[in-house]
Amino acid sequence: MWCFPGVWDARGFPEGTLVTDMVSSARRGVVTGLGVLSSIGSDPETFWQSLLAGKTGIKRIGLFDPSELPCQIAGEMTDFDAKNFLDKKDRKQLRVMARTIQLAVACAQSAITHSKVDKKAIDLTRFGVIFGAGMVAMELPETADAAAVSKTPERGKIDLKVWGTRGLEVIQPLWMLRYLPNMLACQVSILHDAQGPNNTITQDDVAGLLALGEAMRIMRRDHADFFLVGGAESRVNPMSMTRQSLFLPLSTHNADPASACRPFDAGRTGLVLGEGSGILAVEEVGHARRRGAEIYADVCGFGAAFNGKDQAEAIERSIRIAMAQAGIGPDEVDHVNASGMGLEKEDRFESKGIAAAFRGRKDPIEVTSIKAHVGHLGGSSATVELAAVALALRHGLVPATLNHTVTDRSCPVKVIAGQPRPLSRPYVVKTSFTTEGQCAAAVLGRHQG
Amino acid sequence: MSRKYQRRVVITGMGVITPLGCDIDSMFKSLLEGRSGVGPIQNFDASTFPTNFAAEVPGFQLSNWIMDCARWDHSGINSKFAAAAAQQALSAAGLVDALNSGKVDRNRIGVYLGSGEGIHDFHNLMWETANSYEPQTRKLDYPRFCKGGRETFHVGSEADQELHTTAMHLAAHFGLNGPNFNCLTACAASSQAIGEAMDLIRIGDSDMILAGGSHSMIHPLGVTGFNLLTALSTNKANPQGASRPFDKERDGFVLGEGAGMLVLEELEHAKKRGAKILAEMTGYFTTADAFRVTDSHPEGRGAIACIDGALKDAGVTPSQIGYVNAHGTSTQVNDRVESLAIKHVFGEAARKAPVSSIKSMMGHLIAAAGAVELITCVEAMRTGWLPPTINYEHPDPECDLDYIPNKARQAKAVHCLSNSFGFGGQNTSLVVSAYTG
Repeated sequence: MWCFPGVWDARGFPEGTLVTDMVSSARRGVVTGLGVLSSIGSDPETFWQSLLAGKTGIKRIGLFDPSELPCQIAGEMTDFDAKNFLDKKDRKQLRVMARTIQLAVACAQSAITHSKVDKKAIDLTRFGVIFGAGMVAMELPETADAAAVSKTPERGKIDLKVWGTRGLEVIQPLWMLRYLPNMLACQVSILHDAQGPNNTITQDDVAGLLALGEAMRIMRRDHADFFLVGGAESRVNPMSMTRQSLFLPLSTHNADPASACRPFDAGRTGLVLGEGSGILAVEEVGHARRRGAEIYADVCGFGAAFNGKDQAEAIERSIRIAMAQAGIGPDEVDHVNASGMGLEKEDRFESKGIAAAFRGRKDPIEVTSIKAHVGHLGGSSATVELAAVALALRHGLVPATLNHTVTDRSCPVKVIAGQPRPLSRPYVVKTSFTTEGQCAAAVLGRHQG
Repeated sequence: MSRKYQRRVVITGMGVITPLGCDIDSMFKSLLEGRSGVGPIQNFDASTFPTNFAAEVPGFQLSNWIMDCARWDHSGINSKFAAAAAQQALSAAGLVDALNSGKVDRNRIGVYLGSGEGIHDFHNLMWETANSYEPQTRKLDYPRFCKGGRETFHVGSEADQELHTTAMHLAAHFGLNGPNFNCLTACAASSQAIGEAMDLIRIGDSDMILAGGSHSMIHPLGVTGFNLLTALSTNKANPQGASRPFDKERDGFVLGEGAGMLVLEELEHAKKRGAKILAEMTGYFTTADAFRVTDSHPEGRGAIACIDGALKDAGVTPSQIGYVNAHGTSTQVNDRVESLAIKHVFGEAARKAPVSSIKSMMGHLIAAAGAVELITCVEAMRTGWLPPTINYEHPDPECDLDYIPNKARQAKAVHCLSNSFGFGGQNTSLVVSAYTG
């Protein structure tokens, strides 16, 4: 029940603080299904094979003409069509969903199918949906007619008196619902009649990992047995790319998109965005066993922390809390599936935090990142990466970090590069964070029956 | 009350920014006086919109609360409201000094907000859209848009529209280094944030959490969106009478804006540091309607399960609830279904339970509504006065509860229920109780 003294001390918790241990707790979670939509595959098997083969989905943007943007590349899903994933009766709803929400409902359907859950046989009031989401990118044609009638000759000035009358007349009545961030989880709950806890967490890259932590907490308080934990985001959109080109350090390595994203590599070129969705079916272990579900991984521990000045400290603390909750020591971890943004400051604080958390381990901790395969997916980054972790545990193989040739000397970790390597220890740590210091970590483990 | 939780959660600080006052006392005084904060929209020229009125926070300046507020220079008003309310809550809890002097462990203080998004740069966004658009062919020239947008959008304010920034600023400014969450579940967001924060403390992940929410949708795209959904009242003839929850003539909600923040704390932790305990958080439950994105389930399926779950979590019976702060938006559907759900769960006790909606006075604070309404429950218990539902004139046979019509009432409440129901079918109920040791 209690973690060993070394970790305990390092957490700096006041004596007597209650710590619930996920592994020995009666209600623990397991992953029983995966949905993945990404630029390197839209089902778990294709995605996994692409990760192993070192394929990247990062290419020149084709969904719109990006020629006036400094960054013209992204992990784009060229052929995505949500209709291919949904039953005919459910397709009508797609009209009121922006691309991000379509990605979520399509991926949720895949995850449900993959989990082989029979929705008629489970208690739908204990079926939760906990998602990570970001700002849903507005699709400009939706308001272009309204903008056109109310534009004034003066740049940057819309005539609000006209907008309020003739403008409003030419916008679809349900326009706003296409963009509310909670519509990912809500539309999924409606399609699957999931009446349990439903939440949307909005901490960017770390949102999906926080969602997993919250789902585990809800499971422990016994308010749900079965969850879809996930996220979806499309950032390959003219408005979104224009905005983000202003405040994110995006790569301008347009000449060679495939090599632009280089996690922990000395030759980094910047951040590359992408689109996709990752959704895990997460279930209470007894519930999973009773229905004879296939189990991909155990969810063993979770930790979250913040540090606005020293982000490495918050990463370290998240990992320590997650490992303490899992009741494991640093030598039992096979590798860390890192965020690995491919940015100087972020790669350095992440790797420093990881190295610090594993201080005292007999050999250097190894890390891998799949950012170079799919790009930075915002609200869906963490859950797509968690899907990769579950697949690694399942197949006993660790995908190598693509485009990693020379490790940045300021990143004190050993990066798994070149070829996939066999998994030799039972646990994997997943880390995610925002640049500003919102951090989380989870421990997933090989299923122990 | 049940004692099933080893770690009990109490409230040790509160703060608000609302259309009816920017501190707890003046807000609550306005509520008891039955004042309306609704007036013509000043934030932008809404004169020709179907709805041209709202409840705005007058004359807000963040520097009145936080001297060193440069980090919020490019933030949306939602983040600034959050900062001012957080300053009030943390200082009421005696934490601003304690954090600075290292008397409390900042790693054990988290943030869990239900705060809304930043506000789009409407004029530049729409002007550049129009300038790249050929209405005859209905084609957009994207390179032209990208170029124009890059020239006119402001870097700082674009970055600060992102949804993780409000919680980040609070954590960074006050040094709250525990878990950092923000959820956005429409009108249920801050209630859900408070409920999940409570659970984080109960389970031992934190000792204290700054929880609450902030929001403003009183901007061109916000009013556009709600007007198109026909969710807002269009009672231009009588703006102060427009928000009339449970009244038969109700025709939609009125937008408000603001923030509500609470310091939630583990009981023993609060006692040990001698904090003043304002109330105890005793119950939380959350469900999804899983029905439609626009309407609540007609039989109140999700709302019933939610209210019932929260009472059970608190270990109280309906007859012990001395006050229900309703979601009470003043839309036809919400008020009917909410009344139905209360009756279903409360049974006979529904006749005796006083229910009111403060949205009749300050409008709907969207993501921030739940936090401000929970704070109202705490003040109702502390003062022995229940705020009214104003503008209540025409009884609706489908809404036949005691809505505390028009006048505040003196009554002792020991347990209060606060409901929040959001677009998309998000339901959250909280139970807060007088702290009795």
